[in-house]
Amino acid sequence: MLKTVPSIGSGSATSTATGPEVVLQVEGLTVGWGAAASDRPVVENVSFRLAAETDTALVGPNGAGKSTLVQALLGILPRQAGSVRVLGAPLSPHGRLPAAVRAQVAYLPQQVSVRGRFPLTVAEFVGLGWEPSGLRLPWAGRRERRAAVHAALERTACADLAARLISELSTGQWKRVLLAFCVVRPRRLLVLDEAQAGLDPQAAEQFLRLLFDLRRSEGWAVLQISHDLEMVRRTCDRVLCLNRSLRCQGSPEVALSPAQLERLYGRGYVPYHHHHHREAGAAPPPPAAPPQP
Amino acid sequence: MTLPPPEWLELLRFPFMQRALVAGLLSGSLGGLLGSVAVLRQLSFFSDALGHSALLGISLGVLLGVEPTLVLIPFAVLFALAVSQLVERSQLPSDALLNIVYSSSLAIAVVLLRLLSSRAGSLEQLLFGDILAVSWGDLLLQALLLAGVLTYLLLTRRSQILVSLDRGLAVSQGVAVGWQRLLFVVVLAVVVALSIKAVGVLLISAFVVIPACSARLISGSFATYLPLASGIGASCGLIGLLSSGVFNLPSGPCVVIVQLLAFLAALLVRASRPPLRGWG
Repeated sequence: MLKTVPSIGSGSATSTATGPEVVLQVEGLTVGWGAAASDRPVVENVSFRLAAETDTALVGPNGAGKSTLVQALLGILPRQAGSVRVLGAPLSPHGRLPAAVRAQVAYLPQQVSVRGRFPLTVAEFVGLGWEPSGLRLPWAGRRERRAAVHAALERTACADLAARLISELSTGQWKRVLLAFCVVRPRRLLVLDEAQAGLDPQAAEQFLRLLFDLRRSEGWAVLQISHDLEMVRRTCDRVLCLNRSLRCQGSPEVALSPAQLERLYGRGYVPYHHHHHREAGAAPPPPAAPPQP
Repeated sequence: MTLPPPEWLELLRFPFMQRALVAGLLSGSLGGLLGSVAVLRQLSFFSDALGHSALLGISLGVLLGVEPTLVLIPFAVLFALAVSQLVERSQLPSDALLNIVYSSSLAIAVVLLRLLSSRAGSLEQLLFGDILAVSWGDLLLQALLLAGVLTYLLLTRRSQILVSLDRGLAVSQGVAVGWQRLLFVVVLAVVVALSIKAVGVLLISAFVVIPACSARLISGSFATYLPLASGIGASCGLIGLLSSGVFNLPSGPCVVIVQLLAFLAALLVRASRPPLRGWG
């Protein structure tokens, strides 16, 4: 099912009659520790596209530049070269996007370190995700915000945490609350940096179901950094293999083949299940279907 | 037969005491309000450095023969901008850098003021505050500043919280983090510069830090945090300045002692009662 997509921003068309809308378009992106062209790049010449309703994994060894790449395409880190378009709108060199486009982007960072007692409840925090950027009085749209926050907390199984302070949350609870922050308003692009790290198996499964639901029923495009290759095989449509530059991209079957993984992670890398099944004399299991909502 | 009014009520008849109490209310409220965000941003030490450097601004004013308050505001703003750039660009830890900046500016200022002692007035007044020095004009400026700061914090509440929590999350939500940081530092500098007269340079950071920390201990939501910090700051300012008048003691230290008592009370409340929650 393809959704009708509103065209936001100037530049290239974001939807075509034949294929799904391009939500994110990255061309020749190079990122270093500084914005100067002389700084040594961490990530070089990366190009890819994300279509609506897809779940794309970004995999690679530690230090490959995954978080750097993700932060650069969100405008958190400056880029040295290349271009980024979100829903057709160009990301400015200073990391700015038109407010209407920015409101459709959600980012779930690897961790948010809250130091000391932070007097902000979970409901107040999730409410910040609902509010548009810009100047706004705290009581504006209070009723709508409260309803949206309630729905988001229910959807992410966080309703019991609503009155808790964010500084009192465990890692796993924080992840769920951050996800509620992301889903509290309709969005088109969700970027996750190791979102499932720290979640127990049940919460991780709920998380995957929610992601599946968001992209299938609401047309979100998901880009997630992950080290969990089994989860990637099971749930993602596409994989980007990064080690300073994009080494390969394609379906999980192709991009996560033993040969590609050895190329990405280095000679001698044997995925655990391959090793296990080889020893047991059995063939590796076929990739499973995505979880049903 | 009617008893004579107590000494502190008699004091209220004097215009200087009336001005002092209003100054205590306004500067305490301002400090608490702005401090509530400053401590979340971990800018407590920054406000301390700003207060100490204000003495350098005053001594420059004396040296140039200009009214110190007129020099103080632009000086504090420029100083705050320069230091925040230095902290951002240097490879040194910010606490070490701020220590260098504030101790050296204090040293230069004390030497300058000693050399200009015939024109500078009492150093103690500058260090610890002087309620007699507060004019109605200063109060008007403080009232305007309080209204401005309140509006600014209400309108940018979302940005202030997100920037305090996580820079990446804030940028991804469309917050212009660089501008928000710069603007906050400028507002903090102006508030510090205008509160120096009543509070003194050595203790100005306590006005920013202590009421906010007391409120942080007992607030169960952001909705209660800001009003509580401002309220604690205002009441401590009022009680502290009244004590200063009654016992003829320096105003700044009196207020800070009351703030300390409020902080200890907040610690007790925190230990014995659930936190205060507000609307969601």
